[in-house]
Amino acid sequence: MVVVSVEGLSKAYGRHRAVDDVSFEVQDREVLGLLGPNGSGKTTILRILTGYLQPSAGTVRIDGIDVVRDGRAARARIGYVPENAPLYGHMRVNEFLDFMGRLHGLPEAALRRGMAEARRRLALDAVAETPIGRLSRGYRQRVAIAQAVLHGPRLLILDEPTNGLDPRQVIELRGLLRDMARDCAVLVTSHILAEMERVADRVAILLDGRLLTVQRIGQRRQRIGLRLRAPAAQAAAVAQALGAVPGLLGLAAEPEAEPGLAAWRLEAEDAAAAGRIAARLHGLGLASLEPLDAPSDLETLFLRLTASKAIH
Amino acid sequence: MTRFLALAEKETRALFASPIAYAVIAVFLLLNGYTFAVTLFLTKQATLAHIFFQAAVQLILLVPLVTMRQFAEERRGGTLELLLTAPVHEAEIVLAKFAASMLLLLAMIAGTLVYALILGRFGAPDWGPVYSGYLGLLLLGAALVAIGLAVSALASNQIVAAVVSLGLFGLLWAIDSWAAVLPAPADNWVLGLSLLARFTPFAVGAMYLSDFGFFLVLALLGLFLTVRALVRR
Repeated sequence: MVVVSVEGLSKAYGRHRAVDDVSFEVQDREVLGLLGPNGSGKTTILRILTGYLQPSAGTVRIDGIDVVRDGRAARARIGYVPENAPLYGHMRVNEFLDFMGRLHGLPEAALRRGMAEARRRLALDAVAETPIGRLSRGYRQRVAIAQAVLHGPRLLILDEPTNGLDPRQVIELRGLLRDMARDCAVLVTSHILAEMERVADRVAILLDGRLLTVQRIGQRRQRIGLRLRAPAAQAAAVAQALGAVPGLLGLAAEPEAEPGLAAWRLEAEDAAAAGRIAARLHGLGLASLEPLDAPSDLETLFLRLTASKAIH
Repeated sequence: MTRFLALAEKETRALFASPIAYAVIAVFLLLNGYTFAVTLFLTKQATLAHIFFQAAVQLILLVPLVTMRQFAEERRGGTLELLLTAPVHEAEIVLAKFAASMLLLLAMIAGTLVYALILGRFGAPDWGPVYSGYLGLLLLGAALVAIGLAVSALASNQIVAAVVSLGLFGLLWAIDSWAAVLPAPADNWVLGLSLLARFTPFAVGAMYLSDFGFFLVLALLGLFLTVRALVRR
């Protein structure tokens, strides 16, 4: 079921087109990532979706409701976490959630239920009576998300939610987003590729306000790149030993600086295959196998798309 | 209505949680109390007219301090985006801030009711000018708050908002002094625009519908401009 439908969306500031003819859809229970470098129009698109900015052209519908013509009804279906999680520092967490719930018109019983549920999901019970200004960045981000899910939105929008979080908080946030996507559609922006691969079902790539492609993130194969160095004299033995290892996807000779040595680049299907390769080489008395950081599919795609656009 | 009440409660708490509110109330009451006491001992007249004029000038100086942060601060902190992306109308946000600021002004002005009580207890004041004076202060206050909010909604920095409001108020207060040097129709226009010329009848016990309407129109214009400033973002 389509929750968000964006058609031919444009936003112009004078002659500059911040968003240029962008169309996409977000399904229920799907995480769509908007990916692009800074200034590519991600935040502008989110601000149009949330009714903060008016589009110059095109339509946006949330659950079939036009965000321009019936803004209040559309906004009531959205939970929004703006960039850098703006909050009222002088309010206590409970006080703030209560205020935001009432701002969304929740009746008393639903408000209590929503607040209890949001505090539980985001593990905020311990800080419920703490002034927001005294919370850490990670907690503030969670309060901002709690505020956005209080009223049971059909669409949850997060703008650069991993900004300023430490690695552990980033991992927690990933889990949270997957959890949220069980009840609604999630739209999340980032300029970090690796983040998107881990959290999104599909990724829309933006550059200079234009949508370049929308890609489904496939079954994320844990391919492992390896580099092997061995005495040049053993090259034939290596080739033979690795000839029939299941899960070895590629073997290519690489330049090697040190005289008397040869190098190969290998790609293993997964960790088990890498183990089998290491075992074969061990049989030959070779152990100089090192892992490589292989560029991901998304990374390759992103570089290819943004490079070709940059030339034209 | 729930939404407006939530907003009004939040604004009132925010205003009264800041030390600005108490500093403003304290200075206002201290200065007026001093003038009231000294004048009473010197003149022995049961009147509040001089207090009303002094309070009006103080409103011009203090209201910018009350309204300056209202939108400028929300814009700087990014919380304006939270408010504007919630399912509320811009007018509800503006009216909530107006209501909270007026509550603060009411608290300030209510403090001066003690002077009226003292006059009533120990003398026989003419109550007409007292009533009209208080009405005039409230109307003037409403107009100043509404204009101050509009300036705050347009400015990105609270100090700029305060200075511009102060400038506008000062200009509007004393613009009648230009009447003496301007030719025939224009002198009446500037008199009609002057906050001082409009306020004076209230302070001395004369109420004209046109003065009443002037302050009301000014307040509505200010609120309208504030809403427009928010819509056109």
